[in-house]
Amino acid sequence: MSKQKFAKIYSLSLLVPFLLMIYPLFSFGNRETPFILGLPFSVFWVIFWIIITFIIVLLLYRIDPDKDEKEVN
Amino acid sequence: MAQWQIAMIMMIGYLLVALLIGVMAGRKQDKASLEEFTVAGGNLGLFVMWFLMGGAVFSAFSFLGAPGWAFSRGAPALYIITYTAFAILPWYIIGPKIGKIGRKHNIYTVSGFLQKRYTSKGLAMLIGIITLLASIQYLATQMKGMAYIFNIMTEGRIPFWLGALLSYGIVVVYVATGGLRAAAWSDVFQGILMIVISWTVGLTIVNQLHGSVSEMFMNLTDSNPGFLEIGAEGSTMSPMAYTTTILVSTIGFLMWPHLFSKSYATNARTIKKTVLVYPVFALFLIPLLFVGFSAVNVIDPSQVGSPDEILPFLITTALNLPGWVYGLVGAGALAAAMSTADAITHSASLEFTDGFVRNVKKDLSSKTTLLIMRIGVFIIGALAYFITVFGGQGLIALLLGAYGSIVQFAPGVYAALYSKRVTAPAVITGLIIGTVVNYYFQLVAETRPLDIDAGILGLICNVLIVIIVSSFTQVKEMPIAEDYRKIGS
Repeated sequence: MSKQKFAKIYSLSLLVPFLLMIYPLFSFGNRETPFILGLPFSVFWVIFWIIITFIIVLLLYRIDPDKDEKEVN
Repeated sequence: MAQWQIAMIMMIGYLLVALLIGVMAGRKQDKASLEEFTVAGGNLGLFVMWFLMGGAVFSAFSFLGAPGWAFSRGAPALYIITYTAFAILPWYIIGPKIGKIGRKHNIYTVSGFLQKRYTSKGLAMLIGIITLLASIQYLATQMKGMAYIFNIMTEGRIPFWLGALLSYGIVVVYVATGGLRAAAWSDVFQGILMIVISWTVGLTIVNQLHGSVSEMFMNLTDSNPGFLEIGAEGSTMSPMAYTTTILVSTIGFLMWPHLFSKSYATNARTIKKTVLVYPVFALFLIPLLFVGFSAVNVIDPSQVGSPDEILPFLITTALNLPGWVYGLVGAGALAAAMSTADAITHSASLEFTDGFVRNVKKDLSSKTTLLIMRIGVFIIGALAYFITVFGGQGLIALLLGAYGSIVQFAPGVYAALYSKRVTAPAVITGLIIGTVVNYYFQLVAETRPLDIDAGILGLICNVLIVIIVSSFTQVKEMPIAEDYRKIGS
């Protein structure tokens, strides 16, 4: 995989959870009920997607073709 | 021994340890090296880097302001953990690239980065001045936090001016002597302390007031329906305001010179791993929000001076907690404020010296530059201190304006990284207009169109101007622009 391609995959796959945190998509999470794990739905929604984001970045790091960015100038 | 005595002893003990760590970290390093002072030789490890970036987020705002937002506004406080988790993510891609450009062209600041790409002294000077003013504002809020916490935890026995002087004085000493490395190691200690305290004390408060987290939320949704939704009836923020607040914080985050310049302080792999583990910091903030939620309906807002005082108020007045908890929370809040203040003081001195002083007075040797930077730490420290203790209204408005302007660096920075067509006049005009628009809607105008955040309004104008002016001011050959674009991609 080329570097540009990785950058594109990286940006797009993290844009998705980000868009879920702001409007218009945040309207899906913006409610008080049901309670999940003792948390109101809106609070749970935000925490849940942060954890998913964390996992996505971990996976992205695994497929990063150039983790060290070797200096070739 | 009285509660306040225990608290005071613990906080002073904390300050001594912080000083010791800061000074020790800078020891044995080359004191005469400009590179060591500015970017810690470019070799900070993952553990230190993680706390250095994290310390900047854990500020007086998160420790006192986050509970305050949750207490007074409800759901909008979620924006704080949202932007903390997401704002770092672009760094994975742009951080290594900025670092490579810096190593190739010997750059260690934002102003240096833009000056080289746009070959414009004016732009660098503008960045230097805006950064200085914005940093002083940032420092003033941190210092107010420190002084306030000293004051309340000792039940008024340490006056405002002394608390600020003690805690910030220590920051200035270790930054001026040890540079970035000292700031970084202090942040590790301060970061661990804050995390432990926010979880233990935070959850203790929730359990004392409501029994458990879920009971607290049950009570809250029963008594205040809509409080935990955005834009509902009874809510304190509209969807547009919520969205644009998240956007402006997320875009602006990496434009702060003290974070941007960390790209030069380490290698690509460390940058990537820092981004990797960073969202965890957002989760550390959760108990602080819970503290704020737990006080709703328990504490009458008229009892506390301002919402930001809710955490200390709960500990000292509303709950019967032992003196060592006073001390712990005091130390944690000091740590939060100091770990932000050290990085900001350091970068303000670097930016102003590199962007402004070096363009006014040419041919400074690196030895003189280093000396100016060290002295700059003291001068900026003193300025921020006097403004905090004696600040006047007009001055404060000016600083607030600068503070909101940092996000306006974004078009120039991203264009430098990815476009070869954007020109210096375009970036300068965009920056100025963006700053003015932001200033107008933040401090002058009564309402904003569609309730959009002032910074985003400025940014929209800024981007449009950059595009339009660039198309009129094309020059044929800009080898440096091509060079920037190609490095690391």
